[in-house]
Amino acid sequence: MSNEKVDVVIVGAGASGSVYASVLAKAGKKVVLLESGPDWELSDLISSEIWGRRIKPAGAPILLEGKNPMTYAAQGGWGVGGAALHYFANFPRLLPTDFRIKSEHSRAHDWPIAYEDVAPFYDKVARDTGVSGDAKAEEKWRPAGEAYPMPPMKTFRNGDIWLKGFDAAGIRMVPAPVGMNSVEYHGRPACLYDGWCHVGCPIGALANPQITYLGNARKAGAEVRALSTVTRILTNQAGTRVTGVEYYDDKHGKQIQEANVVVLAAWSAQNPRLLLNSATDKHAKGLSNSSGLVGKFMMSHHVASTWGMFDEDTQNHMGTIAVQYMSYEHYPKTSHPGAFGSSFITAGFALKTTDLAVSRADLFGPELADYMKQAARHLAGIKTFGEEQPRMENRVELTGEKDEFGMPLGKLFHSYDEDAVALWNANLEEGLKVARAAGAREAWSARGAMPTSHLMGGTIMGTGADNSVVNSFGQSHEIPNLWIAGPSIFPTAGASNPTFTIFALSQRGAERMASQWSTLTN
Amino acid sequence: MAGIGRRGFVKGATVGATIGALAFAVGGVEIIMTAQEARARGVPFRLLDGHQGEALEALGETLVPSAREAGIAHFIDQQLSVPPTESLLQARIFNFRPPFADFYRSAIVAVDAGSNKMFGRDFVLLSTADQRAFVDLMRQNKVEGWTGRPGALVYAVLRADAVDVVYGTMEGYEALGIPYMPHIPPEKRW
Ligand SMILES: Cc1cc2nc3c(=O)[nH]c(=O)nc-3n(C[C@H](O)[C@H](O)[C@H](O)COP(=O)(O)OP(=O)(O)OC[C@H]3O[C@@H](n4cnc5c(N)ncnc54)[C@H](O)[C@@H]3O)c2cc1C
Ligand code: SF4
Repeated sequence: MSNEKVDVVIVGAGASGSVYASVLAKAGKKVVLLESGPDWELSDLISSEIWGRRIKPAGAPILLEGKNPMTYAAQGGWGVGGAALHYFANFPRLLPTDFRIKSEHSRAHDWPIAYEDVAPFYDKVARDTGVSGDAKAEEKWRPAGEAYPMPPMKTFRNGDIWLKGFDAAGIRMVPAPVGMNSVEYHGRPACLYDGWCHVGCPIGALANPQITYLGNARKAGAEVRALSTVTRILTNQAGTRVTGVEYYDDKHGKQIQEANVVVLAAWSAQNPRLLLNSATDKHAKGLSNSSGLVGKFMMSHHVASTWGMFDEDTQNHMGTIAVQYMSYEHYPKTSHPGAFGSSFITAGFALKTTDLAVSRADLFGPELADYMKQAARHLAGIKTFGEEQPRMENRVELTGEKDEFGMPLGKLFHSYDEDAVALWNANLEEGLKVARAAGAREAWSARGAMPTSHLMGGTIMGTGADNSVVNSFGQSHEIPNLWIAGPSIFPTAGASNPTFTIFALSQRGAERMASQWSTLTN
Repeated sequence: MAGIGRRGFVKGATVGATIGALAFAVGGVEIIMTAQEARARGVPFRLLDGHQGEALEALGETLVPSAREAGIAHFIDQQLSVPPTESLLQARIFNFRPPFADFYRSAIVAVDAGSNKMFGRDFVLLSTADQRAFVDLMRQNKVEGWTGRPGALVYAVLRADAVDVVYGTMEGYEALGIPYMPHIPPEKRW
């Protein structure tokens, strides 16, 4: 079935798609968002680890391979709001060095833009969505910008207890910027510090897209079609422009949505999967893929977690799931001898019973029961996010297996290289030193499988079709009315959590699209 | 944003009767109750057979004390009977492809095969000490002749399920003295 043609069809109603929807609907464009998951409401966000799983992806259409398979479902989103419906809302930004790693270190790629190009958009996102933090304190490590619109969040013993240890290690910690309300903001209430953010904050103290960009987009007339899974992007006969998308609706009926512009915002593994599945005789390798780079350079952050058991009560049921303190002290790429890449250090976060159990995954039986009692009062954690360099071998490909709509499943290959392993180990060792200096009675590293957090790459930005898939705005080098949004356009990963940058780049891309509209329309 | 209040705003709002609690079939009628109640009332399994139920209870109890009484087998059985998109099982987070029942069935077969090889008996018939010893080896991928998904993965998934039923509920928090502080409490104290 065919639908009335619209100006913009956006694939995925998550973090990046919702920014495009808001900017373009407010610019008077007719916008439709197609989202494969349900249209969650705030009242669906039950405060329960168990019930919180309903809003996670199920039966992910991505198969996982490699030495360090991506924890895809745990990291992903499904339904309106995407993963940002239940993200932790840590909002650090990338630093200038991230944009020029090739120039400075002869590694990976430079971004085709500089920090200064993105900085105004960080400030705008902070104003629009509400960020709490202390910009002045961060400016020790980055160029000055606007102050955050809200003061830092409250801290608790599970965060403060680490400061002595970091001090001893010469690491300065400052309040972490988060997309949460330390005070009432734009009519949304202040946080209550109960730590249920990761299953969704139903009171609106956390800036999830439902209550920020998507709310604005809907008010401006954007339509969200939930349970609508896009399977192909359609092109004209000459292969010079996209004409819309094919999708399956909530009753599994095949539909066509024509549009002047298509924005892919389906997260890093799905964006390349859709491009590859949209091959035609004019684009035999998939859309926007003359470089052969669609699906390549998939990246993740490795997380070095250190746990400490303290004599005193760490109040670990209090706080948010986001971190209280952060540091860019070891962000310079060569901070750790023998390792390469940025590290983003964080401390202090609320814990739920699943976290307590996971913190000693080796324990079971009566030992676990005893441990849970202790951990409930005395456990606290620190986490250091580490940068992985982009590599061609880490990739998404189509397989012979099909999903329920007949679309080939994707396969995501992911393995860390020696640099990543060395950096992770260095961060774990540093964590142990900090924990001991902080006075932990017992301290240990979360070893075992090397974690994968966040997913980036797959349709990277660059200066031309020979080295990348899109330009710095997310516009395809080859098909001007095809745009791509989200972390898939990151050419390198940095070590900062990605979503503040996703929002900023999406705002920048959407404003560009609106300003260039006349060049894009069919 | 209009309509958003402080904690408890949803109390009088749209939480439906079945959100946050599980539906079990008793005498052909769907009744909402916790997995613990379902076990105590002897609700028949929907998908598991008797041996599979006992095996999951024995494994669950070995991994997390009280998991048997908390209804681990009833929880898993009930959750295997709902569509994967509604499932609350950890299998979802571990990125398994539905149907999730395949994982549990093959895990039990692998555990029994390993247990028979080591001790000449199914896992449920082992002494508590032997069950512990077996799980410890399984955790480290050291059970000889093990087939199927790695033992460490079976350990991780079943342990996580058992942690859910024992510690993930409001009662579980209460038992540890942790304030639950919900915005939207799950019904039936789940
Ligand atoms: C538990 C958790 C904690 C996190 N914490 C943080 C944090 O503290 N800080 C941070 O920076 N980031 C965090 N993240 C990551 C952050 O949520 C993501 O980086 C961000 O949401 C990615 O944006 P996106 O728009 O690319 O994808 P998403 O927000 O996931 O949106 C993509 C949407 O596309 C839909 N979709 C996929 N395929 C199709 C299709 N074929 N047709 C239609 N729709 C489709 C999906 O259902 C999904 O809703 C966290 C993520 C998780 C899961
Ligand atoms: S801790 Fe704050 S942000 Fe998190 S769920 Fe509670 S009120 Fe919302």
